[in-house]
Amino acid sequence: MPREGEKGTTIDRRSFVKAALLPAALPLAAALASASAQAAEPPSGQTRAGPDIIDSNVHLFEWPFRKLKYDKTEPLVAKLRKHRITQAWAGSFEAVLHKQLDAINRRLAEECKAHGDGMLIPFGSVNPAWADWEEDLRRCHEQYRMPGLRLYPAYHGYALDLPEFARLLSEAAKRGLLVQIAMRLEDERVHHVAISVPLVNASPLAEVLKKVPLAKVQLVNSAGPLLGNNVSDLVRDTQITFDIAATEGNGGIGRLIKGENYSYRGSIPVERLLFGSHAPLFPCESALLKLFESPLSLEQLEKLMNANARRLIG
Amino acid sequence: MNPAAREFALDPAAYGLPTRDDLVKLRIWDMHYHGFYGGGIRQHEENLFYVERMGIERMLSLDIAGSPTDPLGTSIPDEKKREMRDYLEKHADRVSGLIPIDPSQPDESCRKMEDWIRNGPCIGIKYYGGNPGGVVCSHPDNNVIIRLAAELKAVIYIHTWMKIGGQPRRPGGDNERGESTPMDVALLAERFPSVPLICGHSGGDWELGVRAVRPHENVHIEFSGSDPHSGQVDYTVREVGASRMIWGGHGPSRSYSTELSKVLDADLTHDQRLQIFGGNLRRLAARIFRQKGYKL
Repeated sequence: MPREGEKGTTIDRRSFVKAALLPAALPLAAALASASAQAAEPPSGQTRAGPDIIDSNVHLFEWPFRKLKYDKTEPLVAKLRKHRITQAWAGSFEAVLHKQLDAINRRLAEECKAHGDGMLIPFGSVNPAWADWEEDLRRCHEQYRMPGLRLYPAYHGYALDLPEFARLLSEAAKRGLLVQIAMRLEDERVHHVAISVPLVNASPLAEVLKKVPLAKVQLVNSAGPLLGNNVSDLVRDTQITFDIAATEGNGGIGRLIKGENYSYRGSIPVERLLFGSHAPLFPCESALLKLFESPLSLEQLEKLMNANARRLIG
Repeated sequence: MNPAAREFALDPAAYGLPTRDDLVKLRIWDMHYHGFYGGGIRQHEENLFYVERMGIERMLSLDIAGSPTDPLGTSIPDEKKREMRDYLEKHADRVSGLIPIDPSQPDESCRKMEDWIRNGPCIGIKYYGGNPGGVVCSHPDNNVIIRLAAELKAVIYIHTWMKIGGQPRRPGGDNERGESTPMDVALLAERFPSVPLICGHSGGDWELGVRAVRPHENVHIEFSGSDPHSGQVDYTVREVGASRMIWGGHGPSRSYSTELSKVLDADLTHDQRLQIFGGNLRRLAARIFRQKGYKL
C-alpha cells in the first residue's frame, strides 16, 4: 500500500522552528499573501515550513442527495494537495445507501489506486447487521489491503449495543484494522424528506470497548451534542480517538482540549484528536482554519496534523 | 487587545489559507454575533480574543436586552439594561446592537424599538427562532413593527429555519412555535417591497430557503448557523447574486472557521468576497449608522 504522504511529512526542523510564532502582522512573501486563499507552492528546492497534514475523514464519489464540487477524485485530490494534505483516508459515499458493499469497497480501492495520486488510503465499509459481514471484512483486509473500515450505523440500521458490532470490533482488532464510526454525515434537521435517519447513541461504546481493549476506534464527525455525557468515560476508559471536522465554537479545538468547549461535556486530550475535514461534503477550509483559530502550540499542531494519525495506522 | 491573539505557531498561508492580515483586509462584519447571549458582557469580552485573532472588524449582536423566552427583556433588571446601553455607546466603533422583538406583542415591541433604537444606541431588530406567542413574521401583526423599523432605517434580521419533521414529514414541520421560514419572509417581503429584510440562516435548509426568497429583491440572505456545505455559497450567488448575501459568524457557539470556510470554498471574485463579508451589510446599515454617527 503506497503511503506517499509520509515522505512529505518529514519536517525540516530548522525551517519548522523558523516559522514558529510568526506574528501574523509581519509582511509575508507575496506568493503567500493571497486573499483568495490559493495554495502557496514553495519555490523549487525550498522546504515548506510546518508539517504536512493527514486527513482522516474524506469520501469519494457522489453524495446521494446533492452534486458536490469535488465529487470527482482528481479535483478532490488536487484540492487537498493545495492545502498541504498529503494523505487522506477515504470512505465511499456509495456505501451509505447501497447494499452490495463488496462491490462498493472494490471500486473504492480501485479508484484510490487509479486516481488517488498516491495519497488516498481506502477505508471500506462493513455492516455488522447484515449476514456474512465477516466475508466483507476479510476482503477489505486481505484483497483490498485496507488499513481500516468506516461504519455508518445511523444509515445501516443498527445501534452500538448490537452484539455483532462488538464482534466486528474484535475481528478488526485481530487484524489490526482501525474502525471509524461515522457519528453523522449531515445535520438531521436538513435531511431529505424521504429518509429518516436516527442519531447514533454513543452511550454503549465505553462498555463495549472495555471488552475489546485492543480495538482501534475513531469517531468521525463526532460533534459535541452527539457524544452527550459520554466524553469523560470514552477518554478515561478507552483509547478511542476523534476527528475535528464537526468541532464547533470559537476556538473550538483549544477549548475542547482544555475542557472548555461549550458543546462538549468533558475534555479530549490533543493526543486523541485527528485532523478530519469531511470533504467533499464540507469545505476542507473549515477544519484547516480551526487549526489556526485556536492558539495551539507547534507540538499540538504536529500531533493534530499527522502524528496522531500516523500512530493509528502507521 | 491581547497580543497573543495575533500570534500563530504556523503560517496559515503555507496551508493555502488567508492570513489574519488577509482577513482584516476583507473588512469582515459579523451579522450574527451571540457574544452577549444571556446578557453576558464578560462572555463577550472573553470572546474578543477570537474576534481579534480571526480579523473580524465589527460584530452585530442580536441579543440586546432580550432572550428567546423573553424577547422583550421584561425580566431583565433596569440596572443590567443600563449597563448594556453604556457598553454599546462606549464600544460603538466595534459592536452594534440589534434588539429582539416579539411579534406576538407588536405594541410592546414598538415601545422597545423607540427606547433602544430611536432613543438609544441600537441599530436594528431581530426575530428569534420562535416566541412565546407563536407568531411568525408573515402574520399581519408584524406590519406595525416593520413600518416603524423602516421609519427608523433599522436593520431587520429574521431568524428562519426549515427543520424536517412533523406529520406528514416536511421541511419546517419540526419548527418551534413562532419560528419563521423563508416562505414567511417572502410573504412579508411582498407586503413591504421597499423595505430591506435579512433572511437569517438561509432557512437552514439552504437549497430550499434560497428558492423561497429568490424572487424578492429586497430580501438579503445571511447563511450562518448551519454546517458548512461545500457549494452553498456558489449556489446562492448563482441564484440571487453576491449583492444579496450577508456573512454571519454565529460565535461563540459556532466556529468562525466554519462560517468563513463557506465563502472561501466558493469560486468568487475578490469584489464578491468583499461584498459578502461586509460590503452589503455596510450598504444596508449605512443610513442608520450615519444618523447615529457610527463609523462605516
